[in-house]
Parts: sequence; structure tokens; C-alpha cells
Amino acid sequence: MGFSTRQIHAGVEPDPVTGSILTPIYQSTTYVQPSVDEYLSKGFSYSRSGNPTVSALQRKLADLEGGVETACFGTGMGAVHATMLAFLSAGDHAIVSDVAYGGTYRLCTKVLSRFGLEFTFADTSDPDDVRKSVRKNTKLFLTETPANPTMKCSDIAAISEIAKKQGAVHAVDNTFLTPYYQRPLELGADLAIHSTTKYMDGHNATVGGAVVSRTQEQADAVRFIQNSTGSIMSPQVAWLTLQGIKTLSVRMDRQSANAMAIAEFLEAHPKVEQVAYPGLKSFAQHELSKRQASGFGAMLWFEVKGGLAAGKRLMDSVELWTLAENLGSVESLITHPVTMTHADVEPEERARVGIIDGLVRLSVGLEDADDLIDALKKALEQA
Amino acid sequence: MSGFYRFDTLALHAGQTVDPEFGARAAPIYQTTSYVFPDTDTASSIFNLERGGHAYSRITNPTVGVLEQRIAALEGGSAAVCTSSGMAATFCAITAILGQGDHIVASSQMYGGNISLMKNTLPRFGITATFVDPTDLDGLQKAIGENTKLIYGELIGNPGLDIMDLEAVAEIADASRVPFMVDATFNTPYLCRCLDYGANITIHSVTKWMGGHGAAIGGAIVDGGNFDWGRDGRFPTITEPYAPFQGINFWEEFGPSAFATRIRAEAMRDFGASMAPMNAFLLLQGLETLSLRMDRHLDNTRAMLDYLSGHPQVKWVNHPDLPEHRSHELAKKYLPKGAGSIVSFGIEGGRDAGRAFIENLELASHLANVGDAKTLIIHPATTTHSRIDAEALVAAGITEDMLRLSVGLEDVDDLKADFEQGFRAAKKVGG
Amino acid sequence: MYVEVGGKKVFAATGGKPFDSKKPVVLFLHGSGFDHTIWGLHSRFFAFRQYSVLVPDLPGHTNSEGPPLGSIEDMADWLEAVTQAVDAKDISVVAHSQGCLVTLEFVSRHPARVKSASFVASGLATPINPALIEAAEKDPESAIAMMLSWGFGPAGHLHQGPIPGNSMLAGGRKVMRRNVPNELAADLKACNAYKNGKAAAAAIRCPVQVVLAGKDRMAPRKAGMELVAHLNEPELHVVEESGHIIPQEAPNRLRRLLRDFIFRHNPAR
Repeated sequence: MGFSTRQIHAGVEPDPVTGSILTPIYQSTTYVQPSVDEYLSKGFSYSRSGNPTVSALQRKLADLEGGVETACFGTGMGAVHATMLAFLSAGDHAIVSDVAYGGTYRLCTKVLSRFGLEFTFADTSDPDDVRKSVRKNTKLFLTETPANPTMKCSDIAAISEIAKKQGAVHAVDNTFLTPYYQRPLELGADLAIHSTTKYMDGHNATVGGAVVSRTQEQADAVRFIQNSTGSIMSPQVAWLTLQGIKTLSVRMDRQSANAMAIAEFLEAHPKVEQVAYPGLKSFAQHELSKRQASGFGAMLWFEVKGGLAAGKRLMDSVELWTLAENLGSVESLITHPVTMTHADVEPEERARVGIIDGLVRLSVGLEDADDLIDALKKALEQA
Repeated sequence: MSGFYRFDTLALHAGQTVDPEFGARAAPIYQTTSYVFPDTDTASSIFNLERGGHAYSRITNPTVGVLEQRIAALEGGSAAVCTSSGMAATFCAITAILGQGDHIVASSQMYGGNISLMKNTLPRFGITATFVDPTDLDGLQKAIGENTKLIYGELIGNPGLDIMDLEAVAEIADASRVPFMVDATFNTPYLCRCLDYGANITIHSVTKWMGGHGAAIGGAIVDGGNFDWGRDGRFPTITEPYAPFQGINFWEEFGPSAFATRIRAEAMRDFGASMAPMNAFLLLQGLETLSLRMDRHLDNTRAMLDYLSGHPQVKWVNHPDLPEHRSHELAKKYLPKGAGSIVSFGIEGGRDAGRAFIENLELASHLANVGDAKTLIIHPATTTHSRIDAEALVAAGITEDMLRLSVGLEDVDDLKADFEQGFRAAKKVGG
Repeated sequence: MYVEVGGKKVFAATGGKPFDSKKPVVLFLHGSGFDHTIWGLHSRFFAFRQYSVLVPDLPGHTNSEGPPLGSIEDMADWLEAVTQAVDAKDISVVAHSQGCLVTLEFVSRHPARVKSASFVASGLATPINPALIEAAEKDPESAIAMMLSWGFGPAGHLHQGPIPGNSMLAGGRKVMRRNVPNELAADLKACNAYKNGKAAAAAIRCPVQVVLAGKDRMAPRKAGMELVAHLNEPELHVVEESGHIIPQEAPNRLRRLLRDFIFRHNPAR
């Protein structure tokens, strides 16, 4: 069946008791067992280990990504953390994209390093750099494509090939494009990771994460860590995410079309130094983007002439665009990574991976594109 | 801001101030019954309608308020009041201006709930109705009597899908000095803003396309602010002092939102058909994607019309976008984007074939609602109208072979494939 | 209520209580193209606190008989006649926008019964773009759009309102549609022609209050400060987040300011 049909129907069946067309919100901690011998005969015991509403979302995500099973988490970072713990032990090594989300970078360098895990931050846009970083004890590859906020893309198939040779797991953070545009498991990766907070929910209403596994063995490893560490998604969050996903494809298409229009507008504007959007011909990895994804997404960044000061002036004066963290929702957001999302990354490291001080990140929403462009036009005049 | 925000932007932002305390981007769910007042003067000011504000969630609620202002913005109305269901909206709107001895001229082609309210319930309280063919303007004019205080209709009729000529009816209403109320559920403000064509009040079952996900029941009344209640003394509930609020005169003090304020002050307070904050939150979620969903609903509807029109087991297809529909010209005028996503069609083989068809569908859900994200279908002759004979069916405009389809957002090729297996099963029982 | 002035019917809202000439009076004046409803909540507040309230519609506007008046000076004299007709004493004037120009003339020409004056969102003069005047006559919808678009600040543009569920933007449009083309065009011409602001302001002796809006594009702060500079020791307040339509955009803040000022200078018994 087509994606638009599956985003509505996959994983969800009418409630057998009442016929309710939507999965009920099972806001319950525990489940009554018919008898001692029939323990778990209905599938659920305690909502940390499983919840019917969360299960519906997990089935839907597995279907959309083409995996065997999904584990949903309270946040996207919960998903990344569980992935690390599931496939790495003390003394093991992981190769992580050097332009990964600032929170992932912090988790590796400031938290997991204390437990004897080793990390190399490699330029995953260059498979050779990844190959050079492989060690004997490399067990996990974590890439993010396109990366936040630089929009650098990694070749999923090429890196999966390297991981396979090494007998390691390749996890791809697929938050920016979602399975509607890009399906890492079909390209050879082992895990697709999501912050469901972003496009899956789409309405800025929930915080959540997910790991979709290619094999049952991998899924069991993730699930074991989840149940042991207790990082789970709430049924209310799962229920709201189920509603959001029903319009995923229409939102993605419209938001991406809006992003394309905005990228073209910015590229032609005399006060703009540079624009990075995979849909632009000028984007260095335009061809790779076209090859491994069916759309370009709704994230982009640009640099205003006049550097940091001009960028700040623009963001403080722009109307309609909300100055806020998060991305991927129907409301258009504008962010300054250096002072917000990537403030925890050392300045030298930021400079090395291309997060320049004047970089302004846009998460393009569903508003009328003309309104969004009008607002940027006005703000650029004042910047 | 120069100029005004456009539809899609309003659908996301209207009515919502970013939460001043924590800066939350999503509208907070104010799941609370009542509100602490800073002092007694503020309390008495709110109770006496000297200032806006919240006292008790039966009357107003901040989350519901966001939805109300957003719907008012999308409709171009001066105010909106949300209710616990679409029927509550209809009831509260009518009883705000009509009383014993008053009369309604209503379209005969309406949602069954509206017909029943006016035919069976309101007469018990002395409000009577005459039902007229909505396309018969002369008949409509003739039905207006001395005590007529309201003209009520739907832009897209049920079940014939005839289009009401809004401008012509508004002209008759204006000349007769009665307000024109339109149930705009089937069109939503995205397809047609009825107030722009002279309607004075619109009613919505927000449950349907506006909410879009079949998750919450809710209604809305939109005050067009364009009816002159003070022209003569025929609407005392709006223009005469109202004792419960110390003799307030809604028309004098609230002008373009007098009608909505009367509903707030009386219907919400005394009838209490208020919307729950959680429902308002859910409906807001749906409203944010209204235009996207409607465009897809219409794309899929057009594809299904083509498919059904060319199918050998389909006897007839009814939709105003089809050139042979008797309202086709009016549909082009009032609903240029498309005349909604409800389609009716006749299946070869009558009642039994209809039953077999529906029972063998897997995607399309068999139920009585409309306007869900999912495709819904019903066979009136074996369900809603199963207890009446063939002759009575005809009187109700329903035939034994008729199926009513509410086209959803699925991949349309999957829908067609689903219908194919339904048609194969229908053929086996004689279709 | 209706009173007769110069043989014409004049409508004035009274805030939900009968007008009693023995009580001190709060007289509210609306701006160009608007009517009494802009003061809806405020008028009711004072009427229920031992004041008599008078909110007239200018001639030709909404409920008052036409034709509209041609100059600010004529409006001031008409206002004097209205207040005489109802025998108003101890008057506190509260005016918005164009109403402030009328108040400058009314209070300077007829000071005897005036206890205080509150100027909301105005300068000493209101020069009008000739294109707007032309639009008011020939294409009233576009004139209304221009005025509302410029008049309302951020809250108005997002269809918020003083009462939950109400859109002040749409409500304002409906009111203005009742007062075009003649009334709006006459109002705008009268505003444009008015040049006596400085002299009138200087002549006012009663306590005065000025309330300006931080996001006002119709009467920007600079113009408002001109008025402040020429009035005699005015009390000044700036409502930072509001656009020009302060009575609806910041009703609670404005009511507090008006209440404190009027209770002090024109106390009710």
C-alpha cells in the first residue's frame, strides 16, 4: 500500500470492544491478568514494558521505515542513548558524525566517556574519513543525514557497507527527512533513529523518540536496554504522535515546497552571503541527496552579510518566525545554533565542522510561503 | 504587519498568544473548572461583562478561546462560540433569537439531526418550521410569514448535495428582515466563507472536516456581525435589556458581536453545552492542517468520481462537481476549489448488492460519520433507514441502491483497489 | 438612548444604566469611521460605579442621524449641544484617535463643565494621506483594510479580542462597513484639515491624561509626544504592546489608567 495510506492505517485497528475508530489512550500503569497461569496472555503487564497505545505507534513506525520492530522513547536523546547502550560496552568504540546534533555530541563526550566508551567524530560526508577512523573495537556507526544544522549529507549505503565489513551496527538518525523521503534500512543501515518530537508529531505538542530495527536480534537488544533503564514514551504522547503522523506526507510535501521557495528567495537576496539547502543546485551534495532521498525536507540555513551581529539583529526583528529550539513542526522556527542548540559544543569544534557564528537555521513550517518570505524580506532590510 | 494574514497562517496562529509564563509554543490545555480572581472588583467586573476574562469553564476557557478566535478568523466572523457538539451549536444559536410563536423557514435538504430538531423538538417549545426545497427560491419566499425570524440551510444539501444559492437567499432574508443561518460543516471556511456571500451566522460541526481526525466532538457558532438586529423590535433577546446581567443591552454594548455575547451569557450559562478544553486542543491540532487535508480530500474525490463514473456496476454518481448535477453552476460559483468530499452513488443489484459491497470493503470504514481523515461509507437502506419501506425511502430522497461515501485521505489507488473487491462481492449477489 | 440635537436624532449608549444627570458623567468619543461599541466594556465599567455614561455616535455614524459633520470644530460644538441636551455636569471626557482632536476643541471652547480629559492614542493633528481619503470615497473596502491593517497591533492581527472568542479585527471591519463611504470620508477630511491643536491644547486648564501605544502606526509615539508637550502638565502612560486601538487591544490596562485618573479628578458620590 502507498505511504499515505499506511501513515493513516498501519499498526492501528478499530477497538475490538467498542468499535472506536481510534486507538484508545490507555492511560494505565498496570493490567489485570486473567490467572497466574495466563500471565501476559493478553500481552501487557506493566506500562514500562509495554502499553497498547504506545504499541500501536511502534507498529506504525516499523511499517513506515520497513523494519521489524520499534522501541519508542520519552525523547529522541533517550533513543540515541539506548542505541549506544545496546550496542556498546566498556572498551568499545563508536564512530559518530562530527556534525551530529549538539546533544548527541554532549552525551558522547561528557557522559558515556565516563563509562569507558570511546568515540571518534568523523566527517561522515566523506566515506574515506569514516574508513580511516575504524578501529578493531569499532561496534557502532552513528550518522545523521542531513546533519543538524550544517545540512551536510552522509552516503548511507557507503557507510553501511563499511559497517557491514566491520561487523558493526550502522544507526542513522532519520529525523530530518522521515521515512516518507528517506528509508535508511532499505539503503543497508541497521537502525533508523527518530526524534518523533519533530515531523512525526509536527505540531510542537509532544517530546518523543524511536529506534526502528532491521532484525529481531537488534530489536531485542534495544528493548532489553529500554526495559532495564526505563526510558519510555507515555501513552498520551504516543496517541498524539499517532494523530500527527496521519498528515506526515502532506505536511512534508508542503513544508518542503515552502522551504524550496524560501531557499530560492534567500539565494537571490543581496544581503545573504550563502544558503545551504539540499534542494538547491548550488548545494555541494545535491546529487547525493537526490539519490538517497525522494525529497529535500524543510530545514535549511543561511548566513547574513555582517556576521553574528547582523544575524542577531535579523532574528530579534523578524516577525511570524518564532525564535525557539525544536524543528519540524507546522510553526516556522528560526534558531541561532551557536547560542542555542550547539552552545555546548566547543568553539574550535564548531568551527571545524562548519557551524559558523553567523549561521541562522530555519525550520520551515506550514504557513503561507508568501507570509514567511515577506517576514524575512522585512527582517533582512533591518539586518 | 501590513495587509492581513492569509488563511494558512491564520489556521496556525490566530487566537493564540504564546504562553506568557513559560513561552510554550503549543496552546496549553487549561484543564480547569474555575479561575482565581486577584480581587473582588475584578471578579464582579467579569461577572457583569465589564471586562473580558475567565470565571468558569462552562462560560469560557482559555484553550477553547483559542479555537473560537481561530474559527472566527477563518470565517471572517466577529466572534465565535464553541459548543460541545454541532447539534448544541444549532440549538443554542436558534434559541438565542427565537421563542414561543416564532417560525423558521428551513431547507428540506439538511442533516437529519437538524431536521429532527426543527420538526420534533423545537415545536414542543412553540417554535415551528416550514421545510422548503433549497433550490426553490419562490417557495422559500412564500414560506416566510409574519412570525418568521430565521432562514436556515446548508450550502451543500443532504442527501441530494444540491447547492443553496447563498446570495439569492441572503437577499430574500435581508428584504424580509430575518437573519440567514447556514450550517457550513460540509464546506468549511476553506471551501467557502458563507458570511462573505451574505449569510449572517454560520454553524459548524467541528467534529467533521475542521477537526479532521474523528477524535473529538465539537460545534461552533460564528457571528457574522453583519445583521442589523436593531432595525425593528423583532429581536428583543438581542436589543432589549436582559435582566440576569443587570439589564444589559447586547446590541447597544457589543454591536457586531451582540449575538455571540447573548449566546455566551445565556446558552453557555443556562444550557451549559460547553466544549471541553481537551477537545478544543484536539480540534486545534486538526484545524492546523485544514487546507492540506481539504486539498487532498478534493483530489481524492475527483479521482473517485472518475473511477465510479466509469465503473460498469455503478448506475449513477451524484456530486455537484459533475457537469450533469443540477447545482453544477452554483457549485462552480460558491465552491470553486471543489464541492466537498461527500459522494453518493447507486450500485447495480440494489439492497443486497449494497450490503455485500460494504461488507467486503477493508479500508473504507462502515459507519455513519462524515469528514474523517479515513474513508467512510454507509448504505442507508440497510442501516440508518433500514426500518422503512421502499416507498418511504424515496420520500426521504434515498434509494435502495444508494451508497454514501465520505472520501478520506488514503492513497487513492488503495481506495480503488478496496472498492474493486467490494464490487466483485456485489456481483456475486446479483450486482 | 436617543436625544434630539438641532432637529436630528442622536444615539448615545449609556453603559447599561439609565442616564442620570445628577451623577458625574464619563463622556466617551470614538474615532474615524467607528462607533460607540469601541468603548463597550469601558462604558459599562463606569456606569456600574456611580457615573452616568454617555457614548454618542457622531452624526451619520451607526445609529445617529446624518449627515456627517465636516470639521473638528463643528463636532466640538455639536458635542457641547449633546451634553447640554442631557444636562450633563462634571464631565470627564475620554477620547480615542479622532475623538481626541474633537476633545481639544470641545474642552478649550467649552471648559465650564469639564473636570478632566483623557486622550487615548493621538497627537495634536492627524494628517491623512490623500490616497486614503480617495479610497474612503471610491473604494471603501480598501480604505477599511488600510486603516484596520495599520490600526491594529500584533494581537489584533491574530484575531484576539477583549472578550474570549471575539475577533476585534473582524468586529472592527463590521462596524466600519456601516459608516462608509460618507461618514469615513468626512471624518478623514475633518482630521486632515484640523490645524488648531497647539493653541487648543495650550488653552486647556483641567487635569489631562495621555495614553499612547508602543506599537501605534496611526498616531506614532513621536506625534503623541507633541500633544504631551503642548498640554498643561499631562499625566503620560505608554502601553508598550498595543497598537492604535488601545480600548480593545489593551482594555484591562487602559481601564485601570482611566479609573485611577477619573476617580481622582472627578469622584463619584
